[in-house]
Amino acid sequence: MRIGIPHLGNAYIMVRAMAARLGAVNGEGLVIPPPMTKKTLDLGVKYSPTEACLPYKLTLGSLIEACELGADTLIQARGTGICRLGYYAKGQEQMLHDLGYDAHFLTLDISHHKFLNMLRLIRSVANGNRARTPLHEIISAFFFGIGKVIALDKIEKVAQKIRAIELEKGAANLVYKEAVKAIDDVFDSKNVKRITKEYIGKLNKLPHNPKADPVKVAIVGEIYVVIEPFANMDIEMELGKLGVEVERTLTLSRWIKYSLFLNYLGISEWREVHKLAEPYLDHDVGGDGWESVGEKVLCARKGYDGVIHLAPFTCMPEIVAQNIMASTKEDIPVLAVACDEQMGREGMLTRVEAFVDLLEFRRRKRDGRKVFSVG
Amino acid sequence: MKAYLGVDVGSVTTKLVLLDGSNEPLTSIYLQTRGNPVDMIKRGLEAIRKQMPLEVEICGVATTGSGRALAGVMIGADLVKNEITAHAVATMSCVPDVQTIFEIGGQDSKIIIIRDGVVTDFGMNSVCAAGTGSFLEHQAERLNIRIEDFGGHALKSENPARIAGRCTVFAESDMVHKQQMGYPLNDIIYGLCQALVRNYLNNVALNKEIRPKMAFQGGVAFNKGIIRAFNETFRTEVYVPPYSELMGAIGAAMLVRHEMGSNGHRTKFKGFSVSQTEFKVSSFMCKACPNLCEISQISANGKVLSRWGGRCDKWERAEVK
Repeated sequence: MRIGIPHLGNAYIMVRAMAARLGAVNGEGLVIPPPMTKKTLDLGVKYSPTEACLPYKLTLGSLIEACELGADTLIQARGTGICRLGYYAKGQEQMLHDLGYDAHFLTLDISHHKFLNMLRLIRSVANGNRARTPLHEIISAFFFGIGKVIALDKIEKVAQKIRAIELEKGAANLVYKEAVKAIDDVFDSKNVKRITKEYIGKLNKLPHNPKADPVKVAIVGEIYVVIEPFANMDIEMELGKLGVEVERTLTLSRWIKYSLFLNYLGISEWREVHKLAEPYLDHDVGGDGWESVGEKVLCARKGYDGVIHLAPFTCMPEIVAQNIMASTKEDIPVLAVACDEQMGREGMLTRVEAFVDLLEFRRRKRDGRKVFSVG
Repeated sequence: MKAYLGVDVGSVTTKLVLLDGSNEPLTSIYLQTRGNPVDMIKRGLEAIRKQMPLEVEICGVATTGSGRALAGVMIGADLVKNEITAHAVATMSCVPDVQTIFEIGGQDSKIIIIRDGVVTDFGMNSVCAAGTGSFLEHQAERLNIRIEDFGGHALKSENPARIAGRCTVFAESDMVHKQQMGYPLNDIIYGLCQALVRNYLNNVALNKEIRPKMAFQGGVAFNKGIIRAFNETFRTEVYVPPYSELMGAIGAAMLVRHEMGSNGHRTKFKGFSVSQTEFKVSSFMCKACPNLCEISQISANGKVLSRWGGRCDKWERAEVK
């Protein structure tokens, strides 16, 4: 059995870590497709219905690339009541079959009991490779994988801060890229901890202006386009180049932390956010739509300068959210960006740049400074 | 006399403006880009040099518009700014009580919402070029009239034809249909203007709170038919500022004047001799990964000045040889 997965941010590192603990290495028991590129997108677009959303197309492209490398068992999420994600696996399985790949899908139900479903999935994968894997080995592999994702998110948080105020543009990105590789290359928790500390230190030591007070923007929206940089045209990096500090409320580690543990204790990661959304939207509209509305309100209260709302083109939940967000009384500018294969990089950059100027001018006005001197 | 140069390289036209301390251009030039921005920038510079007063000293240069990166490298800009900010700044300075800006250019259209002297929201056409200058020019050609006469015909219309404006392709076929039904030319032309304003308001301006005073600028603001359609839609006068077609360049010049005034830097302007320099713009495909990015590069006298266009910054960071 050769397991293949579609890309989603740094999720592949977690999968690789778990697989290594359970005796599968890249190329043998496990196939990690190449990082997403235009080729992935072209494949996905070619073999998807036109009206499908970008996450569908990109994950399909990524799975095709995994199959090209010999994957025969593919992992994909599914669920009920979420959004079109519910039928991703079925549609993609059919398409891969039509393309002549004899691939079998293992789906992960993320609508209920995510923790148990995940363990079950790992067990069925592990037992497919070896006769019987003891439960404690599965659990330990699982936690090791999660540990890496948490470490990476910690490093990224520091990178997001430094990126905005570094003196040499692009330096933090290079360090962050190195960190991702270093974390991916070690296979014990002690080293993961050491590397995390080392790279956070490196980032903090990059020449930067500690007195700078950069414009702060939160990125909210649909989870796939928020987390996967390829899907949003590296919008975080572009904002960093403009000297903006970015915070992403959705991260893999947050999702995992709550979905897998705290939810079982009755603590919902979104309780606060849903409550804030309530005056405008009081029920789930699928996907991450409800959360996007609440996040906007939260960002306004936390004193962010602006919000960038990322949504796949044609994403119903986010379209609902976008229209509601436009009319909340919390006064914070929102830039809606629709992500799809037609999106032009230049157009996106122009909008983002203008948005950042807007935020900067607003700030000057708020602080009683002259917005712009004339004549 | 200190002066600041604003250069707006759009898809269809290239505009250069020279500002001193006031907001009235000292001199300006308006050229058709004709798909050749490098030559037009050079010609524009040459024209400004000839037209400007003798004692002028250029203390700052800013570029804007879709060709801003290229222009910035060519002439040594102190500031490279997006056109939305440039337009907003210029209009706020020239029309102090403005609350809404309609800007329709050659290939894109924008709306900018302003409240109490700050931009609060903006929109830009993303998927459809309906209502932009290029489309109007194309239709004028079809109707066998000059684009300059378009507005005059529209003003004479009494019973405008209802033309579908959701999509340019449908607008065109609808127009052909109305022609074959025998509608008078003036009514078709004004019907087209109305359709384009409808399209603009339903796409670019969707969900935006439009309040007076409204300013209308960009190349399409030359078109009296579109102005009439705007006026009739809002039942109020839409204001077309003087120099409406130069607003982007004026805004860029204002922004660089502000910036150079506050940081005290010396300008990076390479001088008017740029118009004599031989530039070569080329592009190649980076084959380092399957992204196959198209990298643009500009060189002068055989020396590469800059590269851009990649998804990663490999080429931007690469030592320029």
